[in-house]
Amino acid sequence: MIFHVAWRLLRRAVMNLWRTPLPSLVAVLTMALALFLGAGFLSALSGARALLRAWGAEANLTLYLAQSATEAQGAALAERVRLEHAELTVALVGREEALTRLRTDMRDLASALDGISVSALPLTVELSPRGQLTSADVRKLAAQLARMPDVVDVEYGREWRDKLEELGRGLRTAGSAATALILGAAILVVANTIRLAVYARRDEIEIMKLVGATDSYVRMPFLLEGILQGLAGALIALCGLVAVHRVLLPRAQAAFAFTSGATLGPIVPAHLVALLAFGGAVGLLGSWLAVARFLRT
Amino acid sequence: MIELRNVHKAYGDEPATLDDLSLQIDKGEFVWLTGPSGAGKTTLLKMLFCAEQPTRGEIHVGGHNVTRLAPSGVPLLRRSIGVVFQDFKLLPHRTVLENVGFALEVLGASDREIEERAMRRLDQVGLRAKALALPRTLSGGEQQRVAIARALVNDPAVLLADEPTGNLDPSLTDSIIELLFDANARGTTVVVATHDHALLQRHARRTVTLAAGKLVSDV
Ligand SMILES: Nc1ncnc2c1ncn2[C@@H]1O[C@H](COP(=O)(O)OP(=O)(O)OP(=O)(O)O)[C@@H](O)[C@H]1O
Ligand SMILES: [Mg+2]
Repeated sequence: MIFHVAWRLLRRAVMNLWRTPLPSLVAVLTMALALFLGAGFLSALSGARALLRAWGAEANLTLYLAQSATEAQGAALAERVRLEHAELTVALVGREEALTRLRTDMRDLASALDGISVSALPLTVELSPRGQLTSADVRKLAAQLARMPDVVDVEYGREWRDKLEELGRGLRTAGSAATALILGAAILVVANTIRLAVYARRDEIEIMKLVGATDSYVRMPFLLEGILQGLAGALIALCGLVAVHRVLLPRAQAAFAFTSGATLGPIVPAHLVALLAFGGAVGLLGSWLAVARFLRT
Repeated sequence: MIELRNVHKAYGDEPATLDDLSLQIDKGEFVWLTGPSGAGKTTLLKMLFCAEQPTRGEIHVGGHNVTRLAPSGVPLLRRSIGVVFQDFKLLPHRTVLENVGFALEVLGASDREIEERAMRRLDQVGLRAKALALPRTLSGGEQQRVAIARALVNDPAVLLADEPTGNLDPSLTDSIIELLFDANARGTTVVVATHDHALLQRHARRTVTLAAGKLVSDV
C-alpha cells in the first residue's frame, strides 16, 4: 500500500509542477544558482587550500649566523640541525659561496662588489622541508631554530604567509556568508512557490479533508513538489559545475600559469549524491515552511 | 447512530442558529430534515461531520463523540460519513471518475481498486459513459449524481445530503432520491436536508422540521 500511494503522490506532484511551469521554473533556477555558487565556492576553497599547501611545501627557511661565527662553527650547526630535524634538507652556504651568488645576482653591477671583503657577508644555513609542512609547523620550527647558538635571525617569509592565510580566512567568511544568503533566498523562493500552489489548490485541499484525508496526506504532494524542485535545481547546478570543470578550467589553466597548482580535483559520484541530497533537503525545508504555516491557519 | 443532546450553536455574537436541539437517529433510518431557508439545516449537517463545532451540547456519530474529537480523529470520522454538498464540491480539473475515486484515494486504495469501485458507482448513477468527462461539461443534474456517487463510493455508514435535488425537475429529482433510498436499503443511515415539500409528500418518511434553530416537529 505504501508503494502505490507514494507512486501516486509522486505522479501527482510531477503533474502539479507541470501545470504551473513558470513559478516552478523560477524556483528551480534559483535553487540551481544557489547550489552552483555554493558548490563552486566550496571547490574553489579546497582548490585554494591545495594551492596554499603547495606553496607551503616550497617554503624554505634561512638561518643567519652571527658575524663572529666561523665556517667550522657553521658546519657544526648545520650538522646539528641535520641530526635533530630529519625532515629537513640542510645546506651550509659559506662566505665565498655567498659572494659568488651575490655577484651572479647583481650581474652588471657586480663590479660594485669588488672592494667588499668576504668576511663582511654572513654565514647562512638553508633549510627546506622534505615533505609538506603546514604554516603552523613552519612557524614552530622557526621559533625552535632561532634559539640555537650563533643563530641571529630566521627568515621564512612570515609576512606573505600571514597575508595568504588572512586572505584565505577572509575568502572563507565572505564565501560562507554569500552562500548562506543565496541558500536562504532559494529556500524562501521555494517556500513562496509552494505557498502559491497551496493557495491555488485550496479547494482541492478542502475537499480532500472533507472526504477524510489526514493532514499529512494533504501535505505530502506539496513536500514532494519542494523536493522535486530542489532535485531539479541540483541537477542543473551539477551540469553547470561539470561544464566549468571540463571546459572553462582547462582553458583558464592554459592561460594563467599561476592557477596550475589550483586543480579542483575531479567531480566524483559522492559529490553528485551529496549535491542532489542537499538540493532535495533545501527544497523540502522550503516547502515544509510553506505548508506548516498554511495547515496551522 | 446519530445523537444530539441539547445542542446549541451560535456563529460569533449573532443570535443562536440552533437552540437546545436534541435528536436521535437510529442505524438504518432514512430521515428528511426540513424547514425554511435559514432554519439551520446545513449548520446541523456540518456539525455531524465536524466542519462546525456546537457552542454547547454533545453530538455522537457512529460511536464517535464528535464534540470531543482530537484533530487526528476527524479524518477517521469523515471516512465513515458520505456527504453530498449543496454546491457539489467537485474538483474541476479531475475527470468524473477521478472525482468519485477521490474518496478512496485518501484511504490508500490501489489504482485498480479505485477504478473498479468508482466505475461501479458511476454505473449505478447512470454515468458510466461520462467517466472521462470533466465536471463542467456535465449538466447540473449529472454533477449532482457524480457528487452522490462520490459520497457513496466507500460504502459509508452514514450519508448526509444537503439539498440534493435543488434546481432539478421532478422526474430527475425522483431518480436522485431513488439513489438515496437504494443506499438506505443497503444499510446506510441517510439524512437528507430539503425544503421541497412535494418531495416529502411523494416519499413519506420520518421528517424532522426545524424553524429558527428549534425543533418544531418530528414525525
Ligand atoms: N459560517 C457562518 N457564519 C455566520 N453565520 C452563519 C454561517 N453559516 C450559517 N450562518 C447563519 O446560520 C443560519 C442558518 O444557516 P443554515 O445554512 O444552516 O440554514 P439552512 O437551513 O441550511 O438554509 P437553506 O435552506 O437556505 O440552505 C443563517 O441565519 C445563516 O446566516
Ligand atoms: Mg442549507
